[in-house]
Amino acid sequence: MALNPTEPKWSLRLPADCSIAAIRNVYELIREAFGRQERLEIDCSRVDKADVTSIQLLLSTAKTGEAQGRPVVLTSFSQSLRNTLRRAGFASEAMIDQHFPQKKDGT
Amino acid sequence: MSAMDPTEVFRQEASELFEVLEGALLDLGQRPDDRELVDSAFRALHTIKGSGAMFGFDKVASFTHEFETAFDRVRKGEIKPTQELISVALAAKDYIRALIEDPQSTDDIIGEAILDDLKRFVSFDQPGAPVVEIAEAPPLAPGESKQAGWHLHLEFESHILRNGSNPLDLLEDLCKLGPCFVVPITDGIPFLDEMEPEDCYLKWDVKLHAVCDKDAIDDVFMFVQDEMKLTLSPLAHVEAPAPAPLFQLLDEEPAPVVEMPAPTVEAAAAPLAEQPVAKAEPKSESRLEPKPEAKRDDRGIATVRVQAERLDELMDRVGELVIAQARLTQLAASGSDLSIKMIAEEIERLASSLRDTTMGARMVPIGSLFGRFRRLVHDLSRDLSKPVEFVTSGEDTELDKTMIECLADPLVHLIRNAVDHGIEDTAVRAANGKTEQGRIELAAVHSGAQVLVTVKDNGGGLNTSRIRAKAEEQGLVAAGAVLTDHEIHQFLFHPGFSTAQTISALSGRGVGMDVVKRTIENMRGSIDLSTRTGQGTTVTLRLPLTLAIIEGLLIRVGEGRYIIPLSAVEECIELTAEDERSRGRNFLNVRGNLVPFLRLREIMTASGTPDRHQKTIIISTGETHVGLVADQIIGNHQTVIKSLSKLHSDVTMFSGATILGDGTAALILDVAQLVALAQSKVEKQHISEAA
Repeated sequence: MALNPTEPKWSLRLPADCSIAAIRNVYELIREAFGRQERLEIDCSRVDKADVTSIQLLLSTAKTGEAQGRPVVLTSFSQSLRNTLRRAGFASEAMIDQHFPQKKDGT
Repeated sequence: MSAMDPTEVFRQEASELFEVLEGALLDLGQRPDDRELVDSAFRALHTIKGSGAMFGFDKVASFTHEFETAFDRVRKGEIKPTQELISVALAAKDYIRALIEDPQSTDDIIGEAILDDLKRFVSFDQPGAPVVEIAEAPPLAPGESKQAGWHLHLEFESHILRNGSNPLDLLEDLCKLGPCFVVPITDGIPFLDEMEPEDCYLKWDVKLHAVCDKDAIDDVFMFVQDEMKLTLSPLAHVEAPAPAPLFQLLDEEPAPVVEMPAPTVEAAAAPLAEQPVAKAEPKSESRLEPKPEAKRDDRGIATVRVQAERLDELMDRVGELVIAQARLTQLAASGSDLSIKMIAEEIERLASSLRDTTMGARMVPIGSLFGRFRRLVHDLSRDLSKPVEFVTSGEDTELDKTMIECLADPLVHLIRNAVDHGIEDTAVRAANGKTEQGRIELAAVHSGAQVLVTVKDNGGGLNTSRIRAKAEEQGLVAAGAVLTDHEIHQFLFHPGFSTAQTISALSGRGVGMDVVKRTIENMRGSIDLSTRTGQGTTVTLRLPLTLAIIEGLLIRVGEGRYIIPLSAVEECIELTAEDERSRGRNFLNVRGNLVPFLRLREIMTASGTPDRHQKTIIISTGETHVGLVADQIIGNHQTVIKSLSKLHSDVTMFSGATILGDGTAALILDVAQLVALAQSKVEKQHISEAA
């Protein structure tokens, strides 16, 4: 898990374990990042353990960002995270896009 | 004090679940048709699996999953749980326990062998029966109309993820019944500041396009049905075909980009996705509401898990408070300030109440201990080929948690003895006109300030003449000495005493009963044996309710003050002139019974002149009574027990010490040792008189 404050916006790389066993730490880190910068980018490329709690946290982050007018962008969903999303019923890219503000590579 | 390690919390929870699992399996052996037992075992297994995965015990999760799968036919009622199957299931439980508590002590190969056995037993009866029932919707002819499946709305209680349950696994299981259309409902997701990250906020609407009965769906959620709200309604008659499944859970490849279809194919009975289900539910719905009594309310949690050491610390603090309060009371009594006296009385009342509350918090039902012996009897019964019925009663009887911990080993020994030595072989029982199945009863009951724990068997009883012969052979008693049966049976408690003809893996080495007795006496308890030839033996343990603070009787001997545990005190009488004249014989006549007595002044080598009117305190351990002669009986005393230092570890006459109100120490007399001393004096007197 790493915060990189040298970039113009804060980018947060989620740790490999985002399951319920570690979700409290991830939650605290996202809240801390939220408190520091207007714009937050969350890199999901390393996530290899995800479950319902990870999905909920990302949904809540997006919802909070939207409510506060502070953009949150999720990038590079790992395959593991995608599988978990699909198991939870976020079956299509369109559906994922609808709930999770993603920055596609190159955009 | 630091927070508990989550892994340790899991281990503790798993330990409790193992007890539930073991109890259910053992009961299942006797009541194979009891569905509730099967469900109970499965719930325990499922929680172990889920929590194990959550806390990183991957091997546990994987093995438990295999165990669940293999045992599934029992759950479905396709095969009956035979004794062999129960034994393998118990071995599987032991293996899981080892994986959690001491992974180094076991090996994968053991687990594989157990699973092979389990699979062999469950597939033995009715091969070919499907292990997982998957109902698929038969193809419909164009224009044919029939029930399309089910619409489900799933809402889980917020804590469900913490229990190790995983809604995604349940959705996956659901999709095994047929094509599913799963829509997550995200309305309940809170803002970050309001979020508890381990809580469950997501809900789901599922359309299951399969012709399966409601029971198959209930089966998917059976382990969590108390912790969720499942709204189930049939998808009403529709025109075939149903839409192609959009959600193939088992497909691990990335999903193709598809647009969400408008869910308009189904009839109006199914509410639209992301629409609150309560708004349009048909009358035919079936609700599986959480059972009212099982529903949790986070605002009023009934129990809190507390580390045992915190309770110990609390008890220590209360002990110090009681000592300080005693000093305050004494100080107030010596002065004339009325307000100080009132405050002292108030503090005495509060301290007493706090002591009772704290001691109550440490009380644990003895049933938590009894459960483990069922397995012991089951295994011994199998190993010794002696069918034994094990009956327990008084499980709700409460004892201090320290007592419960100390009691485990002595009871294991007593129960082993009962099965191995007490219960006769089947042939012998049959020859004596007894039922083939022996019976062992383990019971607990409150008796005043004590708890009586009894282990009773209906075996052959003690062989008194053989015990006596062995005692004479070992030089423990002179040949021909007059002894009661009770006295002869006491030899069983001598170290190294055994009448067993052969030494088995279980018993016969003579090590055990002396240790049992010592352990019980260290707990300030006593042990008694009673037996009837051909009818069985009863071992009775008398135990104080607690080891921390006791009611004591404060006495004075010379200049020293001593405490006698009040639970051992039968009565107090004055030493008469006639008793005094019996010096040398040291027997009291108490209502026609001769009771030996000890002069504490002699034992304590007290200086000074004895009080004119000596008092005798009659104490007892079990059936044995002894008088203790003291100078003065001061009165009752709340005794906070302090251990003696290592320097005094070889002092056997005292079991501890306490601090009195004036700050001085008083030693606590070890009743069992004093009784033993009196008995040995009586025996010596017998021998000298015989000579």
